[in-house]
Amino acid sequence: MLFSSISFLFFFLPCLLLCYYICPKKYRNYVLFLFSILFYYLGEKKYLFLLLISCFINYIFGKKIYKTKTKIFLILGLLFNLGLLFYFKYANFFFENINYILPHKLPILNVVLPLGISFFTFQNISYLIDVYLNKIEHEKNILNYCTYITLFPQLIAGPIVRYQDIAKELKKRKENITDFSAGIIKFVIGLGKKVLIADTLYNLCMNLMTIQTSMVAIWILALGFTLQIYYDFSGYSDMAIGLGKMFGFHFPKNFNYPLISSSITEFWRRWHMTLSNFFKDYIYIPLGGNRCSIPIQIRNLLLVWILTGLWHGASWNFIFWGLYFFCFLVFEKWILKKYLKKGFISHIYTFLVILVSFIIFNITDFNQMVIFLKGMIGIAVPIINQDIIYNLSNYFVILILACIGIGPWWKKLIYKLQKGKENKWIDFVSVSYILILFILSIAKIVSNSFQPFIYFRF
Amino acid sequence: MKEKLLSILFVGILFLGGIYILMSKDQEFSTYERRKLMTKQELKKDIFHNLDPFFRDQLPWRNHFLALNSFVERSLLQNKESNQVYLINDFMIEKNDNIEEKKLNGFISKINKIQNQYLTNHNIFFSIIPDKSYFLDSQKYPKMDFDYMIQKLKKEINIPYIDIMNDFQLEDYYKTDIHLKQPSYLKILNKLEQHFSLLNQKENYQKKQYDNFQGSSFSKAPLYASQEPLVYLTNETIEKAKVNYLEYNETPVYTLDKLGTIDSYSVFLNGPSAILSIENSNADSEKELIIFRDSFASSLAPLLIPYYKKITLIDLRYIDMSLTNQYIDYEKQDILFLYSTLIVKESNLLKVT
Repeated sequence: MLFSSISFLFFFLPCLLLCYYICPKKYRNYVLFLFSILFYYLGEKKYLFLLLISCFINYIFGKKIYKTKTKIFLILGLLFNLGLLFYFKYANFFFENINYILPHKLPILNVVLPLGISFFTFQNISYLIDVYLNKIEHEKNILNYCTYITLFPQLIAGPIVRYQDIAKELKKRKENITDFSAGIIKFVIGLGKKVLIADTLYNLCMNLMTIQTSMVAIWILALGFTLQIYYDFSGYSDMAIGLGKMFGFHFPKNFNYPLISSSITEFWRRWHMTLSNFFKDYIYIPLGGNRCSIPIQIRNLLLVWILTGLWHGASWNFIFWGLYFFCFLVFEKWILKKYLKKGFISHIYTFLVILVSFIIFNITDFNQMVIFLKGMIGIAVPIINQDIIYNLSNYFVILILACIGIGPWWKKLIYKLQKGKENKWIDFVSVSYILILFILSIAKIVSNSFQPFIYFRF
Repeated sequence: MKEKLLSILFVGILFLGGIYILMSKDQEFSTYERRKLMTKQELKKDIFHNLDPFFRDQLPWRNHFLALNSFVERSLLQNKESNQVYLINDFMIEKNDNIEEKKLNGFISKINKIQNQYLTNHNIFFSIIPDKSYFLDSQKYPKMDFDYMIQKLKKEINIPYIDIMNDFQLEDYYKTDIHLKQPSYLKILNKLEQHFSLLNQKENYQKKQYDNFQGSSFSKAPLYASQEPLVYLTNETIEKAKVNYLEYNETPVYTLDKLGTIDSYSVFLNGPSAILSIENSNADSEKELIIFRDSFASSLAPLLIPYYKKITLIDLRYIDMSLTNQYIDYEKQDILFLYSTLIVKESNLLKVT
C-alpha cells in the first residue's frame, strides 16, 4: 500500500485513526501492530510471514544477548539478518556474476525482493548491536518490539528508526493536538513533494531517456533525476515523520536540504541521514573511524561506500555510485577541505558532482551510462537539439519550482512573515495552503499518473 | 486554534470521503473517461488487489479532480502534453512521436504475407491515413518521421500505393477524436475511383448531424474541450443497404442508437467488428470490395456503397487472417488495405500468423 493512494488516505488512515483514538492507551500498540501488518500485507502478501519471523527471531536474539552478554548470540543474530538480506537482495546478483567466472553455471535463484527488507533488517541489526553494547535495554515486551519493527510509517522506506529513538514512546507517549496538526502539515507537504513534483519530473526523465540526446539534454536529465529522487524520497520521509507524529512518535529527520550543500561531505550529512548515521555508527567508527592512520581511514571509507552503494541495490551501477562518492570524500577530506567554504563556487562544485552521481545511480546499463557520461562533456553528441528545447519549454515551470524548493528559503520567509503579524491571518493562510496542497495532490492521484516510491526497491 | 481547525478539516475530509465511498451507490460507468468503473461487486472478488482502484474510481467529485489536475498541468505548469495530448486551437492531438523499426517492419511483412498467401489475382492497393499528429509543426512539437514511414512502406510493400497523406487538413478531423469527419473522405473518392476504375456515381448526400459528440480524447483535457457536431452523410442507396456482421445481427449502415452513448463514433457500421459485409442490392455493378481496415474505414465505407454490390470490411485486430477464409472466398474482389498511421506503428495488434 502506498501513502499516496486513495485507499490509504480515505480508508486505511481514517480507520486507523478511529480505532487508535477510541482505544484505551494500553491497547494502542496492539492497534498499531495490527494495522501495520495489514499495511504490509496489502503491499506484499507473500513475505508477511518472513517479516514476522524476522521480528520474532531478533526479539529472541536481543533477549539472549542482553542476558548472556556473549558475542556468540550477537554473531548469530547478525548472520541471520545479513543472511536474509543476502539471500533476498544479493543472491541473484552474486550468482549472475560468479557465473561469468565459473566453468559450470550455477542456477539463478530469481528471488523477489521483499518490500522494505533493507530497512527492517538494518533496524534489527542496530537493535542487536545496541543491546550488546549496553546502549539500550532489551525490549521485554514482544508486542512492543514487533510494533517497533513493523510500525507502518517507516516500515517500507524508512527513515531507519533506531530502537533508542522511540523506545520511550513505544512504552508511553503523549499524543496531543500540536503534534497531530504538525504531523498533518508534514504529511501533506510530503505528499505534495511526491505526487506533484517528483511524479511530474519522472515524466520529464522518461521523455529525456527516449528523445535524441544532446549535451544539454543529458544535463537536464541529470537535474531531473536528482530533483525527482530528492522530492520522491524526502517526500516519503516527510510523510513517514508526519504520520509518526499523528500517533505520538518522533522519528529522526532524514533530509536537511542536501542539495544546497557546499561539499560532498556536507551533502552526506544532509542526505538520507539515518542511513549515513547507521554506517558511521556501526561500520566506520567500530573500524577505527578517524582515529587511525590515513591508509586505514581510506580502507574504512572504501568499505563504507561500497556498502552504501550496495545497500541501494544489487547492481554494479550502485557500486560505482558508492565508489564515485568515496573518491570525492577522500579528495575533500585530505586535499580540498581547506578550499571548500560556504561560497558560490563550492555550491556549484557540489551540485555538479551530485548531478553526475545521479546519472550513475539511474542508468543500470553500463554502455548507456558511458555514453551519457561522455555526452555530459559533449563527446559524440550535439550540444543542443530541437527535442530538448521542446521538453524544456514543457517542464520549465516545474523545474523552476523544484529548484526553488531545494532550499529553506520558503520556510525562512514564512517565519519572517509570522513575526509581528496578526496570527489569525497567518493561520488562515497556512491552513488554506495545506488544504489546497492536499486537494491538488488528490487530483493528481485520481488522474492515476503517480509512480511507486523509488526507495521501495531498496 | 490553527491546530484544531487544521486537524478537524483534514480528518473530516478523510472520514467523509471514506464514508461516502463506502455508503453511496456505486458509479458504474464514467462517461467522462469512457470506461467502466470498479464497483463493490468487483471489489468483493479480490478485496486486496482491487481496493485502491475501487477507492480511486468511486471517490466523490472524481470528474472535478480530473479537471482540476488537467488545469494545473496545462495552465499552471504550462505542460503542453498533459495526458499525452496536445491542445492546439481546440484540437486535441494525441502524442505520437516515435515509431519502432521492428513494428514498422512487422506491418510490412504482414501486408506482404496476406497478399502472397491470399490475394494473388486481385486488383489491389494500399493506402495510409495520417493521424492528427501529422499536422503538428515539427519545429514546435516532437513528431514521428512520417516521410520515412511512407517511403519505407511504398518501397517494401509489394502493392501499389494510393497517396492520400496530403489530401487532408487538421480541420478534416474531429477536435476531440482521433478520426476523420465523414465528409472529409469525399476528398479522396476521386482517387479511389481512378485506381479501382470505378464509374463516378455522382451521388447526392443528405447531411445529418448529431450535435453533442465527445470523442475519445475528450477526457484527456476535459476543461479545454467542448462537444462538437458529428455529421453523417446518407441517401437512398445507403439507407437501403444492410450490414451483416460475424458477431451481431443485421443492422442499417448507421446505427443511430449509438449516438449519445459512450462511443458515438460507433454510429458508423455499429462500431468494432472482426468481419462485416455491406450489401447493396440495388447496385448497378457486380463488383465487390474487401477493405482490410481499422476504425477509420468505418466512416469511409458507407460512401463506397454506391460503387459496389458488396463491401466486406476485415479488422485483423479482432480475427486472425488464417481464419478469415472460413467466412470469405477470396476470388476476384477489389482489395484495399486502408490503415491509419496509428495502426502501422502498432502493427503487433494485427493478427497475421
